[in-house]
Amino acid sequence: MDRRIILYLFFFISPLLAYGQTQISGRVIDEQGEPLPGVNVFIKNSYDGATSSGDGSFEFLTSVEGDQVLIFQLMGFHQVELNIQLEGKALKTPDQIIREAITDMNAVTISAGAMEASDEKKSVILRPLDIVTTPSAMGDIVGAFQTLPGTSTLGNDGRLFVRGGDASEVGIYIDGLRVGNAYGTTAGNVPTRTRFNPNLFKGTFFSTGGYSAEYGQALSSTLALNTKDLSLRSQGDLSLMSVGGGYSHTLANEKQSLTASVNYFDLKPYQSLIKQDFDFERAPWGRDAELALQKKFSNGGIWKVLARTEAGGMKLREQPPGEQNSDQTLDLKNTYSFIQTNWRRSFESGWTIFTGAALSDNSDQVNLDSVNLNRKNFLFHSKFSAIHDFSDRLSVNSGMEYFVRRYRESRSPHNPMQSFDDGQLFAFTEWDYYLSKNWVLRSGLRWGSSSLNQETWLDPRVSLAFRLSEQSQVSLAGGSFSQLPVDNLRVLNSQLKNSESNHLILNYLLQTEGLTFRAETFYKSYEELILFEGYPQFPLNPRNGGKGFAQGVDIFFRDRKSLKNTDYWVTYSFVDSKRQFDQFQTQVQPGFAPKHNFSVVVKHFVTDLKSQIGASFSWNDGFPYTDPNLSGEMNRKTKSFQNLSVSWSYLPRQNLIIHGAISNVLGAENVFGFEYARQPNTEGRFESRAIGQTAPRFLFLGIFLTLSKDKSANQLNNL
Amino acid sequence: MKNLLTSLSLYLLVLTLAYAQPNAYQEAMKSQLAAMQQIDSPEKGATVKNAFLRISEMNSTEWLPLYYAALVEIETAFRFDGNKDAAFDQAIATIKRAEKLSPSNSELTALHGYALMGKLSLDPASRGQELSPQVMQLFGKAIDQDRENPRAVILMAQMEQGMAQFFGNGPEKACGMARLSQELFDKEKEKIDEHYILPTWGEAAAKELYSTCN
Repeated sequence: MDRRIILYLFFFISPLLAYGQTQISGRVIDEQGEPLPGVNVFIKNSYDGATSSGDGSFEFLTSVEGDQVLIFQLMGFHQVELNIQLEGKALKTPDQIIREAITDMNAVTISAGAMEASDEKKSVILRPLDIVTTPSAMGDIVGAFQTLPGTSTLGNDGRLFVRGGDASEVGIYIDGLRVGNAYGTTAGNVPTRTRFNPNLFKGTFFSTGGYSAEYGQALSSTLALNTKDLSLRSQGDLSLMSVGGGYSHTLANEKQSLTASVNYFDLKPYQSLIKQDFDFERAPWGRDAELALQKKFSNGGIWKVLARTEAGGMKLREQPPGEQNSDQTLDLKNTYSFIQTNWRRSFESGWTIFTGAALSDNSDQVNLDSVNLNRKNFLFHSKFSAIHDFSDRLSVNSGMEYFVRRYRESRSPHNPMQSFDDGQLFAFTEWDYYLSKNWVLRSGLRWGSSSLNQETWLDPRVSLAFRLSEQSQVSLAGGSFSQLPVDNLRVLNSQLKNSESNHLILNYLLQTEGLTFRAETFYKSYEELILFEGYPQFPLNPRNGGKGFAQGVDIFFRDRKSLKNTDYWVTYSFVDSKRQFDQFQTQVQPGFAPKHNFSVVVKHFVTDLKSQIGASFSWNDGFPYTDPNLSGEMNRKTKSFQNLSVSWSYLPRQNLIIHGAISNVLGAENVFGFEYARQPNTEGRFESRAIGQTAPRFLFLGIFLTLSKDKSANQLNNL
Repeated sequence: MKNLLTSLSLYLLVLTLAYAQPNAYQEAMKSQLAAMQQIDSPEKGATVKNAFLRISEMNSTEWLPLYYAALVEIETAFRFDGNKDAAFDQAIATIKRAEKLSPSNSELTALHGYALMGKLSLDPASRGQELSPQVMQLFGKAIDQDRENPRAVILMAQMEQGMAQFFGNGPEKACGMARLSQELFDKEKEKIDEHYILPTWGEAAAKELYSTCN
């Protein structure tokens, strides 16, 4: 043959031959051997590839040759690269397993003791909006949490009581930093509220026990509040309420936002219209100013500052039991400041660094007739923590914390000033290990020390969660928890040690679209509780040595789908608790731990009325108290407590909300206990006075107006 | 000699045709854009999305394949049953990758808002307060970045329409925007030729919204 023809053939035919195609086929399966559809299978550096079908199989033609890399790619799964050799004949690869990556979205979460309110995560119990719209809460964060399992409502206190623990056993945190005196100071059985506005927070994490090693110095519970990130637009918010008013202004751009607000409340006009059962000489009042700053850095870091200062007070006339003609006057003034700053950044390398500091400064001045009590609490908390994800299966969170706690107290005219200063150092480490996306083991250690009593301690904690099905899981948590006594006892005896509690919790959680069912059972022990002589208001000779326990079950059911535009939740908590503490000689059921607690919250949206109508009902079987006319301690119980509250929120315009609420609509005459005379009367009986409600009902009416130049809309008009 | 030159140049031409395909990227995009019109099942949606992702692997500096991968994912989630929340999240992750290649891109910003609008639509009662300002802000930003982007305007119009219905206000604002977007669509059409692979979707939605205005 002519050489040239051969040459031509070689030149012209061979490229076309090379363009001939090879078939590649195979099957993709997951770790359980189930076929995986939707996997992108392709040859690296080519357009050639295919998507696996319903049975996990794929096939495609390719024109490339030689040593190649076949890539299996599916979002949420680890990418696999397979070396293949293409020699012109069809290639069938063996079944390829690809492993699912474990992420926050698909992995089991530890739900023992934990209840989360968030818009971002999956296993949440409440949304941030639910807090504001729970009728009985009257806009108070803690008020909303009182409708959740494990808590009890004390209408004369207002604070959070968890599973047989007193209010000091709940640690409150903002962005991981401890808040000192988080509740407004109160006295004389007037209920208090959380100082912080729920609108500051994007999410809350509430634990009723068995919580993370990142938190400590709280025997029962932690409430972690996370502040909002950048505000989206500049706006002004005006509020006018039956009890006061406020204005808040936000300036925002893409990198930073700043919100400044002032508020004033005064119950005087309200109380002049509606008769109170308490004899207020000066109605409760308060003013506050707040500043919040958020700044986002281009490297992904975020810096936040929150500062608040407030002052308030009230004056109340009381008649001590058994003393008909001798009123005593209680005059309370409080000033409070809180400032905190924190910075957080996630790095591509799997590290997340957090650092922050917070300072709380509280000053109370209480005059009870001729006695003046001055109290100053100061708390400084600094924290550094680092999270490192070694892989999607192992993540470690470790950190160091330093606290300064300072307390000053003087009782004039008799006692000189008493004080203490304590420096506390903590270190913690917590390891999350995912055996698979259905199994997680968390083990943690928390070490602490106090300069005041020279004590060091170590609290180990462990929890485990296992997913039973797509919708349900069980988790188990246990550990030990330490807490130093409250300031006014430590000042009397600086050698007081930690009180201790051990928790064991078993939790079952079922979540389907719109439905949540949660059941939890727990046991906790108390050791080294503080005992003293005298009265809670005037303790003498405090010492460690009290003990007790709490055990119980709680059930929570929430349904957002069965009834149209309706959301409701039902909670029942049973707590069996006995402890020897405070002035008690024996183990008793504490006055703050009713046995049976029940609550229902219902919210219904009426589109035609542009309104949300809500109702909440709380009930418990009564509070135990000691009647000195009978033998023994905690020998009687009040009648059951009940409160039905209703609310109406009307949204006539996008930027206007009118909200009205009434608590205790039925006017139940709730009694929280009895106060007894210290000396018996001439007939030898101790006279008593019921501790009741400030008023049968509380009415709230508020108008909330948002003023903003709707930037996006305005720009459109200029187009 | 002349023969040899002819042979060589012919040879090069064949080689070029067989291997190089100077517009391989263009061709691949166009064939997937055609396939995109034929999606009638979630499986087909996944196939087209994956094809766009493969193109982006090859052309790792182009934002457009990632844009279309996200768009297909969003449209598929809107049209068919499945884990919609996860799909919108994945689309947002894809858009964020594209934004690294092309920052301040009006089309990507608008698409991000569209995906978030999808998340909002799954649970408006509890997500509304959090997400609707974010969605509005993204559409506003997209309009700011390119005032000739008809998709940013029609998406904003749809949000405005939803808000007006909820609050019982008149449709004037939404209708005005729908009309404006139609003008922008007409303007865009003048640029479209056979090589045009930039986004052109959205006109049907504009027409549909506008038809409710009269």
